[in-house]
Amino acid sequence: MWLVLCSSSDTSGLWVYQGLRQLGVGPMELVLSEWLAFGSRWEHRLDGSATQFRVTLPDGRVLCSSRIRGAINRLLAPAPGIDQQAAISDREYAHAELQAFYLSWLQGLPGVMINRPGAVGLCGPWYHTSEWVCRASRAGLKAPVYRQSAHETERGYASLAPEGATTINVIAFRGEVYGERVGEPVARACARLAQEARTELLGIELYAGQDGEWTFASATPCPGLSVGGMPLLHSLADALTEGATS
Amino acid sequence: MILVCGIPSETPLRMVTSNLERMKAEFALLSQREFPKCQLWFEVNGGEIIGELHAPERTYPLQEFTAVYPRLMDDRFLPELSDEPPDSSLRKHCRSFHDTLIRWMEIAPALVINRCAPMASNSSKPYQAQLIREQGFLVPETLITNDPELVREFRAKHGRVIYKSISAVRSIVQELNDEDEARLERIRWCPTQFQAFEEGTNLRVHTVGGEAFATAVRSEATDYRYAARQAGEPAELREVTLSSELSEKCLRLSQALGLEFAGIDLKVTPEDDVYCFEVNPCPAFSYYEANTGQPISAAVARRLASASVTVGTLKPGLA
Repeated sequence: MWLVLCSSSDTSGLWVYQGLRQLGVGPMELVLSEWLAFGSRWEHRLDGSATQFRVTLPDGRVLCSSRIRGAINRLLAPAPGIDQQAAISDREYAHAELQAFYLSWLQGLPGVMINRPGAVGLCGPWYHTSEWVCRASRAGLKAPVYRQSAHETERGYASLAPEGATTINVIAFRGEVYGERVGEPVARACARLAQEARTELLGIELYAGQDGEWTFASATPCPGLSVGGMPLLHSLADALTEGATS
Repeated sequence: MILVCGIPSETPLRMVTSNLERMKAEFALLSQREFPKCQLWFEVNGGEIIGELHAPERTYPLQEFTAVYPRLMDDRFLPELSDEPPDSSLRKHCRSFHDTLIRWMEIAPALVINRCAPMASNSSKPYQAQLIREQGFLVPETLITNDPELVREFRAKHGRVIYKSISAVRSIVQELNDEDEARLERIRWCPTQFQAFEEGTNLRVHTVGGEAFATAVRSEATDYRYAARQAGEPAELREVTLSSELSEKCLRLSQALGLEFAGIDLKVTPEDDVYCFEVNPCPAFSYYEANTGQPISAAVARRLASASVTVGTLKPGLA
């Protein structure tokens, strides 16, 4: 089976689940983070050679790593649930434990994971804007000057597109770029950025600079996917099912 | 120029700065407690990262720092903030100053021991164990579950079982006993980590600058860091020499995790199997150095001083 892991408010996750089913990828299971939060029986094992995972969802479905062939992973964090039931003094600890647990079982899922988790993000790297700007520059994208100081409000992960600027979104996936059309050099730079960030699927927001050149604004491992349309859906389906017999 | 930051009186930091002084290496010591008198900014422009640290004594261009050794305490708990309300401007400045410092360190074209991103693998012990396993180490059989029955079966299979936190939040490793088993229903609220107890000798290996320093730890305690409490007497530490093969393997593991300096927790069984429990990315090495005389802090200082100048350019291969 293949999984789409997302939250109930993730319209892109729901869109890709429906789209992949319509393309005949199956069995395909939708797994919402809210359901995982109340998984009744978690079992995650590792030893010298293998990692296993099994959870019973509230509706009785059992997800078992031995039957999983791949996943579209759009989990941002464990859904609030268990940690909210902890005593206030234990809540921070409970949250850290759950985050650590999710990172491990996601890492242990077999098959094609789009995206595989990492230490700085459950569905791929959530780099700070300053780091994305560095990486974008290195990948060959034009990037705005980024400045941060101790007496300014931290901009965190926000878009660098100036207010009112024209923005577009593209998705880099396995060396190809989907979504709005950009010139070949920009497309190649976007693909390099995803590769450089070791992220299979990366959403990149660009804005039109004063010279008309597409300029880096932000990047996310959990982008809106519908901008990629059917071409992206077909590529995701191919990626998930490559080497699979059914 | 080397930047050392943290609490100057903290033992590991003090040991490194003492060595830098002995080596006559040029370094700046930034005390976190002086944050109210400090300012910091940086800028990323094309291929260049520039900025300034305004410390009480002088101003440093950030691009002059070739190496950084941060041992930062959680800035929320600095004594200077103890009487500050949650939304005070001093608190905001403190957070903002530390955030700017950390963000710069993540991208600085300098040697940083260690950056936050590679350190984050330690935020999940079983996640890190999967990376450790890829480097050829054995990892103990582990069960994470919220089902008491599975824990009982696991204990019946292995006999001796320990439990500890999954995350980086420090916990005292405890052996699961009958009393614990009677309160296992409590794990239903949050999956908990259990591990088969492995008999053998505990080894702590510090890796830095291509060198590996190994310490054997003798203790009857389940968690030797708390030996006096758990076993009634402190652990005995002695320097040991690793085989070149194991030493190389430890160095490769640190490199694979992107760590310039690491504390690797191993256990060697009577059958000579080597289990790796964890790689600590911010090791409090002073305990081992004080008990064995191993020159770990000198090696850290040497590594910091060896960093070459790559002024203003982007750090290649940020990972």
